[in-house]
Amino acid sequence: MVAIQTDGLTKRFGSGEAGVLALNDLDLTVEEGEVFGFLGPNGAGKSTTINILLNFIDPTAGSAEVLGHDVQTESKQVRQRTGVLPEGAEVFERLTPREHIAWVEDAKGIDADTDAILDTVGIADAADRKAGGFSKGMQQRLGLGMALAGDPDLLILDEPSSGLDPTGMKEMRQLIREQAASGTTVFFSSHILSEVEAVCDRVAILSGGELAIQDTIENLRDQNEGVCTIDVEVDSVPDSLGLDGVAGVQDVGVADDELIVTCESPSVKVDVVRAIDERTTVTDIVSEDTSLETLFERYTGESVEAAGEQTDDSTEAAEAEVVA
Amino acid sequence: MSTLAVARRDFLNVRRAKLVWAPVALYSLFMVLFFYGQSSNTDPDFHMVLFSLLGIGSVLVIPLIALVAAYLSVAGERESGTIKFTLGVPVDRAAVVTGKLLARSIVVVAGVLVSFVVGTIAAKVFVPGMAIAYGDYLRFIAITVLYATAYVAIAVGISAATSARSRAIAGSIAFFFVFNIGWFSLPISPMEVFEFVLEQLGRDPENYQHFIELIWSLSPTGAYLNTMDFYLPARIASQQAPVSTASDPFYIQPWFMLVILAAWVVVPLALGIRRFQKAQLG
Repeated sequence: MVAIQTDGLTKRFGSGEAGVLALNDLDLTVEEGEVFGFLGPNGAGKSTTINILLNFIDPTAGSAEVLGHDVQTESKQVRQRTGVLPEGAEVFERLTPREHIAWVEDAKGIDADTDAILDTVGIADAADRKAGGFSKGMQQRLGLGMALAGDPDLLILDEPSSGLDPTGMKEMRQLIREQAASGTTVFFSSHILSEVEAVCDRVAILSGGELAIQDTIENLRDQNEGVCTIDVEVDSVPDSLGLDGVAGVQDVGVADDELIVTCESPSVKVDVVRAIDERTTVTDIVSEDTSLETLFERYTGESVEAAGEQTDDSTEAAEAEVVA
Repeated sequence: MSTLAVARRDFLNVRRAKLVWAPVALYSLFMVLFFYGQSSNTDPDFHMVLFSLLGIGSVLVIPLIALVAAYLSVAGERESGTIKFTLGVPVDRAAVVTGKLLARSIVVVAGVLVSFVVGTIAAKVFVPGMAIAYGDYLRFIAITVLYATAYVAIAVGISAATSARSRAIAGSIAFFFVFNIGWFSLPISPMEVFEFVLEQLGRDPENYQHFIELIWSLSPTGAYLNTMDFYLPARIASQQAPVSTASDPFYIQPWFMLVILAAWVVVPLALGIRRFQKAQLG
């Protein structure tokens, strides 16, 4: 069974010259029972996709189904079976966590074990305090608690670790694993690769509104086997790099006085350095390990650190990588 | 069913907002003042108090209570993002708007009723000798509740049609100015515009007084003021406007004022729901 299926999903904000194509012809398939990571730098179209799945916004073109229900015409059925953690949303400031869970119970017509849920997300001791004074992390935990109420078939989590400290992030990953183990499909977005890598069965990488790749983590690793990058620092960047003739060079990037060269296999590196050395003076060489990050960078045209810096909490992004 | 779920949660949320109760306190204060005012009167007149309450309630306090209680009902949730928790569960958008109307109306009506309790106690304390005409009193309270509900529906409708707090404020204030102050006090009121058009067409406005009267009553405040035949004796009511007679067309009869007020509940709500259903909550 398919949990989420999008078909040529397209969203354009505004029209004409000023219009922005936020999502372009997205075909996504998430199978039931899997943990699916939706990865991409901020502004890649992740939230736009999630907003369409929940019928918060209408697509410009294309269609989407969640758990077999059309997201536009049968949105209520979709939301009945889905637990949602929206991105960076505030909680109800004058209600207690207990009342938040009661709201979900009421709206979904279910009974939830409120104490157990609040305990799971780690805010049991604040169960009867108004949420107005909660930190971002606590609000995020409460939002997750609301998503978990009623044991939904599908969890849609938009940037679930935002606002969480490293411990919180670790707990979040643990919780996602537990949910998956109990048969819940988990679809979550993130701009942090390590987080996705740690818990996902499959990932999709989104860049500039387009699907760059959709595959299992394993396949991505296999595909990426051997591919590596080398950073060559030079005195001055020559007009012609002379790397076109070097066999095995996949991509060349220039940043100030640094050349970043993606190679098919590690043995190409030495040829690259030799070729550059003929044209200019090499001052330093940094050779990086093969990793998914390289792949992420290649598909999104952006480094992981740069993607993290776009958010308010770049330090958290950095910390997340340390923890992972 | 989801309307009730939204209403329950929203009621819990809004009744804890202290600002909501400030205009209610103002209404209570006016009640106390008006009843106290009769205590110096050798022949205290209960209906004069109702008349004063009608005046201050219609142009100022009731709209204020309702607008303050409801202008943020939907737009506030869109601005803070809580709307995504509201709509992340299986409720449809129409239920959000009707649920908000229900919750805010209950809060406003409760506030108005509390004010009347305060007023009644003040009457018993300050002017124990004054005869309270309970039938008229109850009719006045019921119609005031309807007027307050109409203004809540207007505020919820505006709130559902706007995406941000600032626009909801601007919309509510604009409505208040056009349909309250502008309707009666400005030289270019709709009635004057109508007369001007008639004159341009070579008609005598004198022949169209009933229509002009209707236009006056099309604002919720005008309709509320024109319900005075229900609870004020002719000696007071006739000082303000000619008391309607049975031969007048139906659309200026007092009962039709209730229809207009009911329309002010239904129409803004329907328009607000339509706009909100199309809204992009990105």
